[in-house]
Amino acid sequence: MLKGGSTRGEKMRPYLIIRYVAFTLLLNAGFLLIAAVISGLNSDTAFFPLLYTCLIATLFGIFPILFVPGEAGSISNKEGLAIVVYSWILSCSIGTLPFVLWGGEFTFTNAWFESVSGYTTTGSSILINIEALPLGLLFWRSVTHWIGGIGIIIFALAVLPQLSPLAMVLYRAEGPDRSLQTFSHIGRRSIQILLRVYVGLTLVETVALLFCGMGLFDAITNSFATIATGGFSPRNMSIAHYGSIAVEIVVMVFMILSGMNFVLLFEAISGKPRALLQSSTVRYYLLALLIGVALTTLSLRGSGFGSWIKALRYSAFQVISIGTSTGFATTDSSIWPPFAQLVLLFFTFQCACASSTSGGIKADRMVLFLKSVARRVKQERNPRAVIPIRLDGKAVEDGMANLGVLYICLYVGIVFFSAGLLTAVGVDGISAFSGSAATMGNVGPGLGTVGSASYFAHIPSAGKWILSFTMLVGRLEIYGLIICIIPFYRR
Amino acid sequence: MSLRFKIMSGFLILALMLAIAGIWSIYELSSIGTSVQDLLDENYRSIKAAEMMVEALERQDSGILLLLLGKWDEGQKIVNSGDDLFQENYKMAKNNITVPGEGDFIEKINQKYMIYKKSWGKPIVGTDKQGNLDWYFRNLHVEFLNVKSAVNELKELNEKTLYRTASDLKNRANRAVMPGTVAVIAALIFSLIFTYFVNLYMVNPIRRMISGIEDFIKKDKDFVVSFETNDEISHLSSAIQSLCSRVAPPVGKR
Repeated sequence: MLKGGSTRGEKMRPYLIIRYVAFTLLLNAGFLLIAAVISGLNSDTAFFPLLYTCLIATLFGIFPILFVPGEAGSISNKEGLAIVVYSWILSCSIGTLPFVLWGGEFTFTNAWFESVSGYTTTGSSILINIEALPLGLLFWRSVTHWIGGIGIIIFALAVLPQLSPLAMVLYRAEGPDRSLQTFSHIGRRSIQILLRVYVGLTLVETVALLFCGMGLFDAITNSFATIATGGFSPRNMSIAHYGSIAVEIVVMVFMILSGMNFVLLFEAISGKPRALLQSSTVRYYLLALLIGVALTTLSLRGSGFGSWIKALRYSAFQVISIGTSTGFATTDSSIWPPFAQLVLLFFTFQCACASSTSGGIKADRMVLFLKSVARRVKQERNPRAVIPIRLDGKAVEDGMANLGVLYICLYVGIVFFSAGLLTAVGVDGISAFSGSAATMGNVGPGLGTVGSASYFAHIPSAGKWILSFTMLVGRLEIYGLIICIIPFYRR
Repeated sequence: MSLRFKIMSGFLILALMLAIAGIWSIYELSSIGTSVQDLLDENYRSIKAAEMMVEALERQDSGILLLLLGKWDEGQKIVNSGDDLFQENYKMAKNNITVPGEGDFIEKINQKYMIYKKSWGKPIVGTDKQGNLDWYFRNLHVEFLNVKSAVNELKELNEKTLYRTASDLKNRANRAVMPGTVAVIAALIFSLIFTYFVNLYMVNPIRRMISGIEDFIKKDKDFVVSFETNDEISHLSSAIQSLCSRVAPPVGKR
């Protein structure tokens, strides 16, 4: 599928990129057709917008396949990266069309924001009344998450590890990314297996939610949003609408699973759970969630937020939801005590494991960062000692650790820059900062006026464009977008 | 795939995009026309009827006040004309039930009006009721306000529906415009991609063949131009290659 090794000096072939991007359009067209059928069966007003978008996606998708010969050769790493990045941007554009053609609350800016939020699996919404949307459009909204999740799997597991170690070394700041070890020669079959895990998890969650008494439509759309760690729910009150502990437990379990490294998850499902259980990143990820839930529960209980059980129920769901970058809600966390909000803000930055559908800085980089800090402290005590950073028993190069820290700095810098721009267009400080962090981490809800029970409708248009861009930057791990949009890197 | 098919498919796709956008726009526009008609037929007529019922009630109330003053002829005339006007518009509203729950509002008006009519139907002039304003305010005026309020509720219901339909019309107008806009933008983007492919797979190969032929003639080089595609261009290239090898054998075999 991808040609290994360095591609420095290789010329990009735009026609080949167009051909592969066309397949993405056809994938979108397939789902648009399903959404149109749902819309047609319900005789709702989204039928024509969905069908017309399906037609455009099909026509645009078929044409390059007709023109560019199939045996045009294997694709290089940079072309692979360009295909994924452009597919994402084009999918966001196509995803905008059903919304903008349908109208209602969707101006062009709103439709673009909703679409980008869907494909990047962010889950921030501009919709005030989600339930007013026709079923076909609600289904499409959830599908954007699910397709985006597929894109993440391919991006994180097939493209990132294959990139040139010189030009793209920062991607290897995924650290001990097992995708490098297990999938060093990733092929079509490997991606198929991982996609089966993705589809399998979706199916199992759908069935589990059906058993909890949820309707079929809600079960499917909520599963799409959970496995992709998106957060778009077909209900105004998100998961709180169902008021069911069983539903919340099922969603929490699948949010945690979706936040784990998919390669390790695949190995565990294949009967080899050792790697998953022994992974220091996974251990850190689960431990962080556990501590987060405990601290939030204590904070809520201390502030008189109902009984211990109630405090635990709400804090567990919210911490896991934010900590996996899903963004579902069972309560309005913007009215929580400041300490609990800070815990949520920490998870908004960190999120879950690399090589999952989750966003944010990622637990892997946090582990690297913490180990770097620990080493620095040890070196201060004993300046002559050579102390390597070890991860899962293997030494990590100093360069890798430094790049991990650099990534975190850049990440936080972008969040501050985006928040600054938002305040410049009139958004209040807390909403701007938390909104930027939530979109950069593809989490969804922030704090203040963009909290878990709120929406982004009131953000000025310019702010919505800033946040959309932040979502894309976060999803493409900063460098992905930079490499594709700066011509210098293409040469 | 043949060149003809590729070019044809390009134009067909363009035509399809524009045609479907056109059909959809026409459909939406005709829907808007129907909605405007429905708006006038359904809601506006009911609103007008409600307004006329209120007018009729006001007239009846004036007539009743004249009766209280002992002016039998003028009062009775005004009350009767008000009653006729009310009945006429009540029938109109009853025959134009279009909004869910509107029937209940009509029935409520009927019940309230019957009570009101019963009160002024009995003689006033020449009885102890004449000039008795206390009796008027305790009985007739309360019933008058009850009917008026019921009629206003009907009017409000239709006004809300009218606003909703008008908002929906705005959406529909947007839907009628958007396919055209999207089709034009899509057609422009498609034209660019089409031009790029025509250049890449038709113009460039022809240039390469021209250059190959010129090299063959002027520099006595072999004509070696190959293509990945399996269309008329690659067939033409093969034909030129075999023609050249007939005219002059390949350099290695000379």
